[in-house]
Amino acid sequence: MLRRAARARLAPFGAGVVLLAVLVALTAPLLAPYDPLAQNLGNTLARPGRAHLLGTDNVGRDVLSRVIWGTRVSLVAGLVAVAIAVVAGSLLGVVAGYCGGRVDGLVMRLMDAVLSFPPLVLALALGAVLGAGLTGVLVALGVVYTPTFARLMRGQVLTINARDYVEAARALGAPGWRVAWRHVVPNAANPIIVQASLSVAFAILAEASLSFLGLGIQPPQASWGSMINAGRGYLQQAPWIVFGPGAALFVTVVGLNFVGDAVRDALDPRTRA
Amino acid sequence: MGRLVLRRLGATVPVLLLVTAGVFALLHLTPGDPIDVMMAESVDAEVKENLRRELGLDRPLYVQYAAWMGRLLRGDLGRSIRNGEPVVESVSRRLRPSLELALLAMTVSLVIAFPVGIVCAVRRNTPIDRAGATFAVFGICMPNFLLALLLIFFFGVTLRWLPISGYTDPLEEGWNGLRSLVLPAVTLGLALAAVVTRTLRSSVLEALAEDYVRTARAKGLSEWRVIQAHVLKNALIPVVTVLGLQLGTLIGGAVITEYVFALPGVGRLVVDAVFARDYPLVQGVVLLIAVGFILSNLIVDVLYGWIDPRIRSR
Repeated sequence: MLRRAARARLAPFGAGVVLLAVLVALTAPLLAPYDPLAQNLGNTLARPGRAHLLGTDNVGRDVLSRVIWGTRVSLVAGLVAVAIAVVAGSLLGVVAGYCGGRVDGLVMRLMDAVLSFPPLVLALALGAVLGAGLTGVLVALGVVYTPTFARLMRGQVLTINARDYVEAARALGAPGWRVAWRHVVPNAANPIIVQASLSVAFAILAEASLSFLGLGIQPPQASWGSMINAGRGYLQQAPWIVFGPGAALFVTVVGLNFVGDAVRDALDPRTRA
Repeated sequence: MGRLVLRRLGATVPVLLLVTAGVFALLHLTPGDPIDVMMAESVDAEVKENLRRELGLDRPLYVQYAAWMGRLLRGDLGRSIRNGEPVVESVSRRLRPSLELALLAMTVSLVIAFPVGIVCAVRRNTPIDRAGATFAVFGICMPNFLLALLLIFFFGVTLRWLPISGYTDPLEEGWNGLRSLVLPAVTLGLALAAVVTRTLRSSVLEALAEDYVRTARAKGLSEWRVIQAHVLKNALIPVVTVLGLQLGTLIGGAVITEYVFALPGVGRLVVDAVFARDYPLVQGVVLLIAVGFILSNLIVDVLYGWIDPRIRSR
């Protein structure tokens, strides 16, 4: 699978970007040249230079250090939000597909209802009632992405349930939960992995959008979205406040998209031809 | 065709009911007392009690839901707790800028996507095709708030060609109004253009490989005529599907675009209501947006059946 992914033309670039982002996130305390929260009012809006590679912001904080620390928030947000959606969606999908009948109808109509909201509007409304902060945003994004995984898992369960090996396991007297856990879920995993790898980039974008609007991690903590929002008032005097985190966000999302495409090419039989 | 519309409408009713229940539950998901969240600590206890009574929060949950649904069916979506204005009035006042923005953004996206998508397919695996693919990746991965700021920086701050914020109605002040919407429409339209370009390229490629295209070419038709008369019509079906699927992204994008460019639209109203903790207004606007979204999807479904007769017969 990895060899197939690596063969895709843009996958190595994407993998390199993602690896770099993970390394930066893990080693942020060692890598950041300055304290990301330390203000220096004597050196505000300083141009990028040797002392501050990406310049300083309106209260003299080092933009590079804040971009480095912001990597953590973005990656954690993307991964945790998708993980919540994968777990909740898969569970709901298995229950719906396995139980069928009214339970299936109820779960899937619930998922349809969640899908009836534009994703960002729903995340904004949920983030608002759960309160500003990373946890609220993670839960909100988790809820927004859950129906995609629930639908996918339900479809897989219905297909796999009709296979001979599942029939055989049942005939041998295996209880329902064991058949689901040992035979159905592992065989349904591929499409879930593909969807999860494609969703991380969009979850990172969504977190940045919510942080940009003022939900998500609160100042003075650094997140790419909130840094861009804070910098937009200084676009004329100090565009680097916006462009530093903006470039980091864009490159990370591009990298994750390439990796997601490569994983899909490697795992999805329909794209193998 | 009528049966298709009825069937789709029938499937929409339970979803609409669940959506209303979800929006109703929104207020009750607030950790702690929603009245305390909506009002500052210093506000008088009597004022808080009045608001609690006014919103019916002192009654059992099922009574609250029944009363809320009853008002909803009469077209009453509640009032803003900040200025007392009915939600329906707030939204209708802000609908025009949002619709104008959506229409212009859609126009921008189709004007870009059609030529680029078709040329990329016809000139497959050439530098033009690769440039088109790069544009598509750029459009899909670029957050629209960042694109908005880049456009503001280049066309507003540096070149000073276009206004960077504010709104003038194009229906009242034609040219100035259009100028005020150019940057927001490009911001919103570019991401959509990227997705449509990608879809159109692959659907045109697929259609170009069909037998009827070979027949048309064998008849001696020019390449342009083949594309115009035979390829494009068949390549449109996936584009309509994608436009339908992208509606949610378009609405979300409009929220951010209106926020960045200070446009007085419905998206901006949601953000303002969220930060003012005006939950009745949040509930009302989110419900209206969701209903609008469901109805738009319904229209896309019906349109899909109209374009492709095979869908109707299913």
